[in-house]
Amino acid sequence: MFWRNNILAVLLLCCTWCLATSEEFHEALTFRPLQDGRLATRFTFTTLLRGAYPRDPSTLQEEDESQHYAIFPLALGQVLREYAVTELHLTLNAGKWDYDHWGYPDEPGVGTGAELWAWMGESAARSVDERWKGLRNALSGQFCASLGSLDEQRTTSPELTFRPEGSLPQWGTTHQLRHGTLPSEHVCTENLTPFLKLLPCKSLTGIASLLNPHRLFDADWHGLGVHVRYLENEGIEVRLSFQSVFDPVRYSNGRRDWSLRSVFDRVIDRSCPIAHSSEIRVAIPKEETAVAITPDSYTTHAGFVYFNVSNASKPLDISMSWPDEQKFEYATVSSAVPLTHVSVRRTLKGSSQSRGRLSVSITNHMPITIQTSYLESMPWLLQFYLHSLQIYSNGVSRDDLISIVSYIPSVPHVRPTLFQAILTLPPKSTLHLSMDVIKPFLRYTEHPPDAQRGWDLPPAVLVPLLHSNSSTLDPGLSNPPSGFEQLRLPRRMYTPVLLVDLATPDFSMPYNVIIMSCTLIALIFGMVFNLLTRKFTLIRVSPEPK
Amino acid sequence: MSKTETAAGVKDPSKLTFESVFTRRKILAAYWLVVLLAVPLWWKYTSIDRLSLPEARVQSVASKQWHSPIRVHIKSEVPAHPAEVVAADVSKLLGEDLKDVDSVSIDFVSKSTPDTYQVRLHNNVDHTSLIGRQLSIGMLPEDDDESIQMSRLRLASILRHMLVPPPPRATSSTQRVVKYSPRYRLAFTLLNEDSATGKAAISWDLQQSMGQYLGPSLDRFKVLHNFTVESQIQFHAPLAFAPKTVEHEGKTVHGLTHEDLTVFVNSAEWTLSSSVSNDPVLHFVLFVPSANHTPLHILDNEGKPSDSNAFILPQWGGIVIVNRPLPHLSSAALKRPFETFRAQLLALLGVPELPPADIKSDHPESFSDWQLDALIRQRTGENVKDSQETLESIVKLVNQIQNMPVGKDVKGDVQSALDALERAFEVGSSSAARALQYSAEALKLSSRAFFNPNNLGLLYFPAEHKYAVYTPLFASVAAPLVAAVIRELLAWRRARREQVAAGEKTAEKPKSD
Repeated sequence: MFWRNNILAVLLLCCTWCLATSEEFHEALTFRPLQDGRLATRFTFTTLLRGAYPRDPSTLQEEDESQHYAIFPLALGQVLREYAVTELHLTLNAGKWDYDHWGYPDEPGVGTGAELWAWMGESAARSVDERWKGLRNALSGQFCASLGSLDEQRTTSPELTFRPEGSLPQWGTTHQLRHGTLPSEHVCTENLTPFLKLLPCKSLTGIASLLNPHRLFDADWHGLGVHVRYLENEGIEVRLSFQSVFDPVRYSNGRRDWSLRSVFDRVIDRSCPIAHSSEIRVAIPKEETAVAITPDSYTTHAGFVYFNVSNASKPLDISMSWPDEQKFEYATVSSAVPLTHVSVRRTLKGSSQSRGRLSVSITNHMPITIQTSYLESMPWLLQFYLHSLQIYSNGVSRDDLISIVSYIPSVPHVRPTLFQAILTLPPKSTLHLSMDVIKPFLRYTEHPPDAQRGWDLPPAVLVPLLHSNSSTLDPGLSNPPSGFEQLRLPRRMYTPVLLVDLATPDFSMPYNVIIMSCTLIALIFGMVFNLLTRKFTLIRVSPEPK
Repeated sequence: MSKTETAAGVKDPSKLTFESVFTRRKILAAYWLVVLLAVPLWWKYTSIDRLSLPEARVQSVASKQWHSPIRVHIKSEVPAHPAEVVAADVSKLLGEDLKDVDSVSIDFVSKSTPDTYQVRLHNNVDHTSLIGRQLSIGMLPEDDDESIQMSRLRLASILRHMLVPPPPRATSSTQRVVKYSPRYRLAFTLLNEDSATGKAAISWDLQQSMGQYLGPSLDRFKVLHNFTVESQIQFHAPLAFAPKTVEHEGKTVHGLTHEDLTVFVNSAEWTLSSSVSNDPVLHFVLFVPSANHTPLHILDNEGKPSDSNAFILPQWGGIVIVNRPLPHLSSAALKRPFETFRAQLLALLGVPELPPADIKSDHPESFSDWQLDALIRQRTGENVKDSQETLESIVKLVNQIQNMPVGKDVKGDVQSALDALERAFEVGSSSAARALQYSAEALKLSSRAFFNPNNLGLLYFPAEHKYAVYTPLFASVAAPLVAAVIRELLAWRRARREQVAAGEKTAEKPKSD
């Protein structure tokens, strides 16, 4: 055994040396116990293609250079180069992220359903829209998701909210954003399987071996993401991530203790031989109760416990327990302090099938003024009456708190609405924003198979920003409030999706219409025809008796 | 009595103009006239758009036989073998040999032009070499009949092999060659069965080895094909079955039987290619078995490990098994696998082999001009034949399925394919490379026409549905129309019979009187 380990170590050294030149692979798993007893986990698998550049779209007509990869997924690389995509983000999520109790997610893209956005350079050879179409079709084949239906009727370009996460190369042409959301898409095993195939160690060794579909899709919230970005002076980075929120209290008799075995039903038997780093991080809860973490081969840094998977003895099963706690006590609702600076609620009011009112209330929990960008990218299934937009703060109409950045009205059957605005949220108060909407009539063929269910509407996206003017800070406040620094990082917040009930026809209608009109025509025809061709004769009714 | 009554108050309806039998029949006829006139209109608006295909032209082009002439010029340095005599002799021998092959004809010409093959006869029997299109062959210098005959037989056999390579004997070899495409993707994959068990190759000098071992061959293919090359490394690629364990020379080895080879590729677990383009892919896999399956050998029919550790999957690619590799495969270590890949590539693309005689080629690392020319002739012939067959099938299909629409683009493609084919026939005798281009274009256009998605347009709207929609209207309208016709017919017959009976009566009356 010792001999074999030795060989393995040599091998590892050797491969690190030879791979350091071009490609790097890092895997990490983060655990974060949440205050409601749940456990947030996040897998990230990062591959860096050092020294690589995204394809310049002006070379799209020429022959592409051949692609040689060792760790970088070839299937994804081909798609990226074929459509000259500079930056790409695809997320497939199921469930509603509870910002108030779970805080900000580690991966910001948590909107329910499928979300795809990409930055692409302009090119005369093939337009951005043409490549966007090719891209979503290629990805929908790659990930077995119905991204193909993210068509022009759902595509917008909200550049204010979706800034590039990496850098955009200077090619002398501008870059364009394409963004589409499909809230009715659900993530499931058929999406995870192709996702696992993109990993260099599949789900056989290393941290990825914990990706057990039976457990992952049993979680309260789960979602996978594929993020590609270009980092100047570094190369192209692909980050595959899987986030989920488990409920250990449900599994272990009312306690919130967890272990790899109890959460994933698997342990790590072998490390991934090509990973440059492979680590598991566990966040230590800030509360007072003592926690015990086993095994003890960890290092602690900045509120996190770190395990190095490649060095640790196998099989590796990490567990965390609260020994002083007999049973997990759920916090009462009133005492729970929201973990985010801002809470959002969005509802669609009105029972009519033709009209409604969209209402959004945003609460600022901070003692300072916060600015937030607000994005509605709404399919034409809901059309805004922008003139009826009303903003109330503490019962007072405050039209000065909104500044509309851009508004592109929808065109039925053609394009969605894009509404971007900057909202100013006064300290410790709630802003109510509402607007009349109409629900259009759909064509007979535009209804989905389960038409009575209604249509899912994409989430609104907010990016809370710090107010630029520091004088808005409450003068009575000596220290900046906690979390003040966090606000400097703009983070997207997704509202839950909405369901709109549109007027649905009786789908047997066409046949009824045919039958009805046929009957009418036949009746009229018969009457006229009969009258024209009837033979009238005189019949003596009763001969007079003599 | 009734007459008096009628006269008294009520008119007899049968005396009214619109109640006359003649008017009623006119009305009925008018209705039927409208129905009959509407039939052509209905036909026009519900019929499927079927453009006529140039069938006669397809038949005439399809019946043409592909033919490529080969000109050979013989130059002799051996007094026992005068060039003209050798040419006549060899021509007779070849003629007999090639009487079944009608796509090629070999002519011996006295003048040498750039596109003729030159054969130089010299004294040195052991030295046979190829330089470009020139074959230098040694003839026996003795002038006895037997040696003269032997030398000429040998020359004829070599020429036959090189100009018209015989079709491969085994059926598996004919199916091995991939279908012609102007562009192929070559996907090289270094597959580790399980890199975590230790015996794994983590990196390889692919680009260098490619250029070194495959580059010359790929360059020579330029006339025929373009290539896109891609490569990847996989670290976990489990087999779908467990290899057999056999004892060999006192050691335990793992073996793959012939049945195992057919299911070797585990497409469910190995991600070998994506679907970003429609070009056919040729896979070349360097397979590194895991530590528990090392050494892995291919077993022969008797269950013994065979010498070869590589195999071809017909029309798919080649696989080479490497046992106990170094973690990094340098281009020196990749020499043997890549030479195997090269041989596999040539086999998959259908490059004919040189005759078994010991011939020194000027392209030892790839293949000679003679082989290339033979391949071009072969591919052109195949393309022409395939496109002829496809065109014929389109015509047949269109005639067979009356519900199939034929759109403008299908017709256009068929016409362009015919044009390209005709042009290929035109240039066939002068330029092999251009004939190949035209034949490839014809093949592309004809298969595009055949697989045009619009051809399926009405497959999901059969005539039965149409009738189902029309029935509620037509049945209820047709019933009174038909009934009225029948009624009138009956009335007419009755009237006639009465008339005849009345006529007979009046005729009989005088007799009886």
